[in-house]
Amino acid sequence: MEASVSAAVSVSALAMSVIFMVLIILIFTIKLLVKLIPYEAPPAPPARKVSAASSQPEQDDQVAAITASLAAHMGKRPDEFRIVNIQSR
Amino acid sequence: MEFSFSSSASKIVHSTAFTSLESGDALMIGVACLLVYLAIWKKFEPLLLLPMGFGCLLANVPMSMMASTDTGGLLNFFYQGIKHEVLPPIIFMGVGALTDFGPLLANPTTLLLGAAAQIGVYMTLIGAVFLGFNMQEASAIGIIGGADGPTSIFLASKLAPHLLAPIAVAAYSYMSLVPLIQPPIMRLLTTEKERKVKMEQLKPISQTVKIIFPVAVTIVCCLMLPGVTPLLGMFMLGNMFRESGVTARLHETAETHLINIVTIFLALAVGSSMTAESFLRLETLKIIALGLLAFAFATAGGVIFGRIMCKLSGGRVNPLIGSAGVSAVPMAARVSQKVGAEEDSSNFLLMHAMGPNVAGVIGSAVAAGVFLSLFGDASTSMDTHAALAPIIGNPEPGMQAVATVVEAIKQ
Repeated sequence: MEASVSAAVSVSALAMSVIFMVLIILIFTIKLLVKLIPYEAPPAPPARKVSAASSQPEQDDQVAAITASLAAHMGKRPDEFRIVNIQSR
Repeated sequence: MEFSFSSSASKIVHSTAFTSLESGDALMIGVACLLVYLAIWKKFEPLLLLPMGFGCLLANVPMSMMASTDTGGLLNFFYQGIKHEVLPPIIFMGVGALTDFGPLLANPTTLLLGAAAQIGVYMTLIGAVFLGFNMQEASAIGIIGGADGPTSIFLASKLAPHLLAPIAVAAYSYMSLVPLIQPPIMRLLTTEKERKVKMEQLKPISQTVKIIFPVAVTIVCCLMLPGVTPLLGMFMLGNMFRESGVTARLHETAETHLINIVTIFLALAVGSSMTAESFLRLETLKIIALGLLAFAFATAGGVIFGRIMCKLSGGRVNPLIGSAGVSAVPMAARVSQKVGAEEDSSNFLLMHAMGPNVAGVIGSAVAAGVFLSLFGDASTSMDTHAALAPIIGNPEPGMQAVATVVEAIKQ
């Protein structure tokens, strides 16, 4: 294919116009999408219940048993420390 | 068979590749070693230049059957992936899986910066025609300005396959030099006040928009420029894997293992095309010079358009993000951030620059599509089945065998 600089300039002008046209169409498409489907913040995660475990009678028994065992092991009185959390594996 | 020590020794000596080594091969082995050196010690796009350099080394060992033109050779098999447009689109799928369109969707006008940076492509096209290349060759050279390796390889393999090696080397070499090429141009074309402009924080985007966007781009761009569908379609498919949230395994594969494997094949195949006959030519020097021109003009185009947007927006756009419109994801965006932070260390432009950066990928693909529409010869685009037949054989007998088995089971 024979090529001249003037033809190259014409091709460049045409091609740049096409690129801008395609991308402008995309801009309007995006703006329309964003307008039609606005961002909604995800719901906040539920607050963690810190002392929920100790309110259950079964776990109260477990806490009492572990406290007594630890007190005996460490040579302390049960009211000198407090178990705040029990995690099962 | 008669055996004599001297004749056997002579036979072994004559069977070595040393006897066939010509000056051109030796020079190309030197070029291969230079690429390997740049990759390892200078960290110039090592993921590509290392296998590319080694592929070049293998291809230039005489009698090795490792050049892309050696039918039946290992690298000739890999080269079919470029010739038949398989490897660049798969790379694009991986890039799509890695790309977050969020910054672009939050500030869609930055797409214009990706378009403006394509000026580098067209200035190079004009320069290439001025230097005596025909329009198809000039288009393949010009796309170097898109700063997108797979797009350059894709277009070169379609429009000027004989120039594939120098175009690929120039594209990847200059991409690795973006941190050196761009900053002086960016500083030259902007004022200190403009470089200090702080941009507003980007708004969050709905996940649904992120899912619909790849489909919308595929429909709009591929209907307008069907020639670019293999590249842009796969790019958007990769992004769908990422954003849909239901294809975690495909997303992970596309953005890691698949893109890595295909990068090895692609780079080796490009390296195998770097033989003395195809590379040691005056055209190679011209292409390397034009490649630098392409990157410089692309950067300038983006920055100048950034300045125009800065003026029109009342100083709310930092023109430095315009340079990121050259693609080269994410290095060009990092350069915008770095140059901005040099003026004001509390100015964070990275996320703002990612918008034009990914717009540059779309822009260069669209530019390639325009070239294919203008200069791609429809008559040479082979039917896929016919193209793959020499590689995978004729699938018809296989299908007939399956049909026979199914029929037997039915009976």
